[in-house]
Amino acid sequence: MTSPMENLVSRDSQALAEAGAWIARLADEGVSGDDGLEFDAWLAAAPQNREAYGQALVLMMEFEARAEAVLAELVPADRGQTVVPITAARRRTAVGAWWAGAGGVAIAAGLAVTVLPAYLAAPVVTTYATDRGQHQHISLADGSKLDLDAETRAVVTYSRGERRIALSDGQAIFDVTHDANRPFVVEAAGRQVRDLGTQFDVKAQGHELTVTVARGRVEVAGTAGHGIDLSPGQRLAIDKTGVGRLSAVDPAETFSWRSGRLVYRAQPLAEVVADLNRQFVQQTEIADPKIADLPITGVIVLDNPSAVMARLSLMLPIKAVPSDRALVLTRR
Amino acid sequence: MALASGPPDSRPTDQDAGPLLAAFLETRENLVMFLAARTRSMATAEDLAQDLYLKIAAMEPQAEVRAPKALLYRMASNLMVDHMRSTQRATRRDGQWRMDTRMTLGGLDVVSEPAADEALVEKERARLLAEAVAALPPQMGRAFRLHKLEGRSQAETAEAMGISRKMVEAHIAAAVKHLVQRLRT
Repeated sequence: MTSPMENLVSRDSQALAEAGAWIARLADEGVSGDDGLEFDAWLAAAPQNREAYGQALVLMMEFEARAEAVLAELVPADRGQTVVPITAARRRTAVGAWWAGAGGVAIAAGLAVTVLPAYLAAPVVTTYATDRGQHQHISLADGSKLDLDAETRAVVTYSRGERRIALSDGQAIFDVTHDANRPFVVEAAGRQVRDLGTQFDVKAQGHELTVTVARGRVEVAGTAGHGIDLSPGQRLAIDKTGVGRLSAVDPAETFSWRSGRLVYRAQPLAEVVADLNRQFVQQTEIADPKIADLPITGVIVLDNPSAVMARLSLMLPIKAVPSDRALVLTRR
Repeated sequence: MALASGPPDSRPTDQDAGPLLAAFLETRENLVMFLAARTRSMATAEDLAQDLYLKIAAMEPQAEVRAPKALLYRMASNLMVDHMRSTQRATRRDGQWRMDTRMTLGGLDVVSEPAADEALVEKERARLLAEAVAALPPQMGRAFRLHKLEGRSQAETAEAMGISRKMVEAHIAAAVKHLVQRLRT
């Protein structure tokens, strides 16, 4: 006969085994609503089920967050003896690179003469601008596409040797047709974003610049020196003081404005209101400074300001009161 | 100036927004747990639950929903499928995720998260996690590594290992149990 203590231990271990099975089953691509319903019933069946699943989920999230570091710890054990030839190989490459470099200089010097007449061709300059509450989709002559967010101005200069877009305050998504002979350069917030064949989003506000890459590669450069290469899923945000911060993001979130949605993660209400005021003609105002810093996390569907505020007030202690000038937000 | 219809004060409450919203509020935590196994991120699971909430809040309040919970899980799994499809899957194995902690941009310092002073603690914890993975039986450890650490789908893992998807699922299930037992404090 088993003691109550043993019973408890085995029940706990059973719940953990089942939790492991659920983690595995629900992580599969084919997971359906029916799986969810069954899972819901399992969670409700016993309190230790919920606890075991919670423990397993938290640990899996930790593995996910630290996957890189864990893999780095695991890799040396796998490899073992394949380390030796590196120095010899490196020396060989270095010599090769020196020759290639010298040749490259010679070729470039020779080419300069032939390329020169191209600068004589007059560049085509076109200006596109959106107002409050407007979006604009633009197809450029080379097949590249441009999506302008509200209150954005882009000056497009196409010359034979270069495609250059100057973006003043605002935000745009660039879908670039790659042309190695005709680089695509976006100027924003005093910096240059150079495409290496790609889709990316640029947001410029005064001296602040945010660049997010969905596809391909992008180089962001200051006025001097060489820049930073960004890969898909990376965002570089440069603040007023010129300090940049790199983070891994889900590009779909940054691109969501194009489909009429905005995604926030703990951003202050004031920032959300500023974005809404670009998206809508009807303006919203924060009357109480105490609510300006309330963090917003979630997806905002851009239908109209009153509806957006009505939904936000379900989650936040705020109230929206219409006045003749704007929708005024106060503490509830 | 014309204002949009409806004073903002007439917020829907749980009751008049219908049984679906009531069921959502009751099931929300379970839905997030359900979604998180696949999204691999609590924040994404929370966002999807938020999406679902907005969807329901925007729906006509229906007098009668036959099986609200079944509908919720169906909507949740559809949202997840859409999300997984639309997100370009920049997994660790094809992206350059590893970045130097400092670099310069046109003479400026660029700091990449996380902060450098946390590095030691991070490394120690990563070593513990790696040890636990290394201690798993070889096939189980390999399945866990491919699926959970390198970010391959279960189908891709099955293909890489030359075993069935059911077998991968069984390996992962057992690995999760072993790892929780070893690592929980």
